[in-house]
Amino acid sequence: MVDAPSQAPAIAVHHLVKRYGDATAVNGISFAVERGDFFGFLGPNGAGKTTTINAIVGLARVDGGRIEVFGRDVSTAWRQARRLIGLAPQEYNFDRYLRVREILFYQAGYYGLRPREVAVRVDALLERFGLSAKAHAFVAQLSGGMKRRLTLARALVHDPQIVILDEPTAGVDVELRLELWETLRALRREGKTIVLTTHYIEEAEALCERIGIIEAGRMVALEKTESLLRSHARDELTITLAHPLQAPPPMLAHFSARLDPENACRLRFERLSPLQLSEVLALLGRDGIDVEAVNTERATLQDVFLALTGRGAR
Amino acid sequence: MNSVGLWTLIKREMKRSFQIINQVIWPPIISTLLYVFVFGLALGSRIKGIQGVSYAQFLLPGLVMMQVIDGAYGESSSSLFQARFTYAIQEMLVAPMSAGEIVFGYVFGSVLRTFLIANVIMVLGVLLLHTTPTSWGLYVAVLVLVAALFSSLGIIFGLMAEKYDNIAVLTTFAITPLVFVGGVFTSIHLLPPVVAHLSLLNPIFYTIDAFRYSYTGQSDVGLAISLPVVAAMTVASYAIAYAMVRAGYKLRT
Repeated sequence: MVDAPSQAPAIAVHHLVKRYGDATAVNGISFAVERGDFFGFLGPNGAGKTTTINAIVGLARVDGGRIEVFGRDVSTAWRQARRLIGLAPQEYNFDRYLRVREILFYQAGYYGLRPREVAVRVDALLERFGLSAKAHAFVAQLSGGMKRRLTLARALVHDPQIVILDEPTAGVDVELRLELWETLRALRREGKTIVLTTHYIEEAEALCERIGIIEAGRMVALEKTESLLRSHARDELTITLAHPLQAPPPMLAHFSARLDPENACRLRFERLSPLQLSEVLALLGRDGIDVEAVNTERATLQDVFLALTGRGAR
Repeated sequence: MNSVGLWTLIKREMKRSFQIINQVIWPPIISTLLYVFVFGLALGSRIKGIQGVSYAQFLLPGLVMMQVIDGAYGESSSSLFQARFTYAIQEMLVAPMSAGEIVFGYVFGSVLRTFLIANVIMVLGVLLLHTTPTSWGLYVAVLVLVAALFSSLGIIFGLMAEKYDNIAVLTTFAITPLVFVGGVFTSIHLLPPVVAHLSLLNPIFYTIDAFRYSYTGQSDVGLAISLPVVAAMTVASYAIAYAMVRAGYKLRT
């Protein structure tokens, strides 16, 4: 493990540009991930998430800008920077000639750690990820879930301070997804900085403290998850009426009432305070409009995502 | 320098070789034995000696070179291409390993593997043909240079290949024909003058000529020419392989 300077953020990306031929995959984005953060990187397919991750870990050459990991430039101080990062890629890229336990030893070796230095850690990781019984199996003999867990164990074998996970739960069942979420939360509690790219918006919402949304190579949002929800999406309130209406009642105009186009019994409102709600209910009662139910729907990151990118995640 | 990382890659290359021992270690040894029996002992008994030794003894160093060239190129190219194709190479690319360490690791792993094969054949030569190198220093030097030359070429073509079939292009259309006309089976002095002159354009001729000198003490063009030519080709090939890996050619996007 490399000692990190005390002040610098875990990751600082400055005006990153990456082009593939005439196409600009990443167009001058800047962001920082503070140490200890759980940072979510969201965006549609082809938005530039994986390209940005690849630039941070050294798998992509950059055309402009600068990236620092704990204050170390990944271009000039690349050896130190890479020792601080563990990558769990989306695709399984294991060495097919090695067995499960060997994969961890060899990966540690590439990071400059001798087998005797990591033997205890390797066995602890196998135990932690439920792979001890498969320690001497080849990867081809593992289930999809085991391969996913091995990917994470391999990312941790050199005890990095930053763990970057590219779509860690893509294609896994619900049970494993929840298990991986718990593991990631535990890593966060252990003090690791975690960067996650995901298509699953509920995953980012459940795990991440800060979110960056990238669209067509540009960062369109970069905020704490809660403030992102507050600033870009609205909680919605629905009043279900006993009888359908032709149009929203005129006396509710200044509450921005809308009639649900799919159900004329539903009136929808954005952000009503309790006082405003009681006023609305009183006005409806005065006009003899019977109310059957009142529901609130919490704004989700999905709403934010749609609002900012103008499309669904996948 | 990441010496542990470098040693890990060399170990990995050796481990791979022994996991596919029936593809990479035994075939060159068995095919050399067959060449020795059929061409060296059966047909060779009807041929006069060349360079002061029996035909079988003349043949052996050429056969060693043939297997070293074939093995060094074939294994380093396929190992690197597979690692690219399965993305397993990313294990190294995200780690603190330099281009120099990666190239040296692949080349050194290949040199060790071909050194093993060559030495088994050398021992068989002692037992069956009663021939041993007369210059051990030259024997080792040429083996290392030629293995490094062709494993560097393997890296270059392993990087350039878009599919597995591309790797075979160099073997099928260049290495195999040039090895067969490069002096494995005969001295250029026994060839028609035009063909003998054309042989001087064949880079593989110099590798065989230099290596045979370590056995027979004789050379068709002189060690002072063949050894520097081999060394120059090795340096050039290694430098190109290094430059390609350093630039991240088809490794980093």
